[in-house]
Amino acid sequence: MFKKILIANRGEIALRILRACRTLGVDAVVAYSEADRESLPVQLADEAICIGPADARRSYLSAPAVISAAIVTGCDAIHPGYGFLSEDEGFAEVVRAHDLTFIGPPANVLERFASKESTRRLLGSLGLPTIPGSNGILRDDAHALEEGEQVGYPLLIKPAAGGGGKGMRMVRTPRELEAALNVCRSEARAAFGDDSLYLERWLDETRHVEVQVAVDRYGRGIHLGERDCSVQRRHQKILEEGPTPALSIEARNELCTRAVRAVVSAGYENVGTLEFLVDQDGSFYFIEINCRIQVEHPVTEMLTGIDMVVMQIRIATGEPLGFSQSDVVTRGHAIEFRINAEDPEREFRPAAGVVERYLAPGGPGVRMDSHLFAGYEVPPYYDSLLGKLIVWGPTRQAAIERGRVALGELMVEGIVTNVPIHQAMLASEAFLEGRFTTNLLDRVGSSAFLAAAARS
Amino acid sequence: MTDDDRQQPNTVKEARPGAQRGGPRPAARTSHVARSTDERLADHAAIDRLTEDFVPALIVKLSTSGLGEIEVGEGGWTVRVRRVGEVTPGFGRRLTDKPSRQQPGHAGHGHAPGGFEGHRSARETKPQGPATGTPLVAAPSNGSGPGTVPDASPAGVARAADGADRHRAIATSPAVGVFHPKPEITAGTRVRNGDRLGAVDMLGVPQDVVAPTDGILGASLVEAGQAVEYGQELIVIELAGTPADRSEG
Repeated sequence: MFKKILIANRGEIALRILRACRTLGVDAVVAYSEADRESLPVQLADEAICIGPADARRSYLSAPAVISAAIVTGCDAIHPGYGFLSEDEGFAEVVRAHDLTFIGPPANVLERFASKESTRRLLGSLGLPTIPGSNGILRDDAHALEEGEQVGYPLLIKPAAGGGGKGMRMVRTPRELEAALNVCRSEARAAFGDDSLYLERWLDETRHVEVQVAVDRYGRGIHLGERDCSVQRRHQKILEEGPTPALSIEARNELCTRAVRAVVSAGYENVGTLEFLVDQDGSFYFIEINCRIQVEHPVTEMLTGIDMVVMQIRIATGEPLGFSQSDVVTRGHAIEFRINAEDPEREFRPAAGVVERYLAPGGPGVRMDSHLFAGYEVPPYYDSLLGKLIVWGPTRQAAIERGRVALGELMVEGIVTNVPIHQAMLASEAFLEGRFTTNLLDRVGSSAFLAAAARS
Repeated sequence: MTDDDRQQPNTVKEARPGAQRGGPRPAARTSHVARSTDERLADHAAIDRLTEDFVPALIVKLSTSGLGEIEVGEGGWTVRVRRVGEVTPGFGRRLTDKPSRQQPGHAGHGHAPGGFEGHRSARETKPQGPATGTPLVAAPSNGSGPGTVPDASPAGVARAADGADRHRAIATSPAVGVFHPKPEITAGTRVRNGDRLGAVDMLGVPQDVVAPTDGILGASLVEAGQAVEYGQELIVIELAGTPADRSEG
């Protein structure tokens, strides 16, 4: 086991990793920017070190600052959390070169899965269905049109690098395709420094279902069930639940079993998530892999009772998993609500300011992962996630009831939050019946959605 | 950062609503709860006025009087300025001490939020640079007291610190790494604004430590070869034209 871990992240995930370190009896150092000096993880840490100014490029995103902090504090491993440097294979490589351990997939594994397009082909060749699409990267406009004919319209233009909806466009005709290519290229170049594009057939009314896997250094892999993240706004997940209401237990088992078999064959290591689109017939298509601990990992923790961050750290030390697929039992239903500092009434504009009052909800099956406290000033420099409310119940209905009570109890004053959108979700027929799809919220419009909930 | 009394360690100031008098430090942020925006704006205006007009005047008064402490009240506010004795090494909390768990969120408390072994004892007596990373003008040489600045706006306190001691500046660390002062850097050397005083080695890349102002080098707050964090105070600079040996306390 490691002697001391540098936590190179902030907010709720820094706190979550700190708790995992304490559970393991490993010392931890919280690396923070000047804007986070008074933050909860820094206050709770036994040791904390300022690595730079508020600007993330000079603190949380600065590989030299993070590694230097790890060295001068005597750490032997770095936990990158999610976002920031968590999937940067260059960073993972430099960490290794300084005789430190990167808690996540090794650099060569991150590199293998860095391109979405080649990952899609790799896992496709290992038995995962992928969405029919272009044969490799588009060489030029003529090639794009040729491939477009073969894929069929409507189709989706996607950048090979990165995610988050940037450089992505749905087009319905060859003319739209031709017109959109340059825009997508420049968006992708600006966002990821790589303008390679590929095409995928457009699937209407899909659900986003993802499989959580864990693979140790010795090639032993398990899955920990799936999560359904179909409630999205502009490709951003709003709430996640598990198991997915969209698939039968047999279909879920098949999806999860095939996913873990494919990533083990592909040489994956550590925890990871395979994302799939599921269409109305229940057919599933692999879209991408996330090589990190995810924001929504608590859903899986509630269902399995497994501490995912502890497991991730153990795998990174080179420990074998120590249990097999049959030891993983999922129980009941869990829902995670992302609590963001965003105003649903104003196009989800991010907010900052002082949290004047904060009360976390409680009760059976209720968990709040948050770095909030009364008096905390939410800095404007980083993402708007204030925390995650996770509820568990023996059935989906029970989890929804607990979610309703917990959201009502949650008190965050002084700063606007997106809690109303969650409350609207729990009043939405489409959600309650388990038939929410990824584009539903955008199609209906958030304000219409909120208004409908207010009427009911 | 500036509303942290680590930054003005030789003068303890308290400015708090009269209603909370006697209450322990923590009430600070939570006291916002019951107040409206207008009331809060009024409070901030009051703090600005107190720090701009009262505090500098009080400091002059205190330094010429030989008194240990002066307290003045106006409306619902009181300001107290107190002398604190010369620093003893290791006074106060050490970096490796655990931070207070009782009152997370409370900004102004003389103790560091955490620490690391490389430079233990260093941070307590030395303020951190402000958010911009530019060197802070404040007095570092005296021990920090237990005072609080619960509700003061950062700007107000920064001005207060300025008023409290215009005689010293601090060169701070531009990076997290290992501090290497220039060998010829010794107390008493005259330096110009922008002079290179040494470097902080971040993974083999030296990041210059520069004098933030003209002056005469005072105490080194960190030994050569020690680990430092970003913004950490490294070297005192007595401002040009002021006697370095002025008596205090």
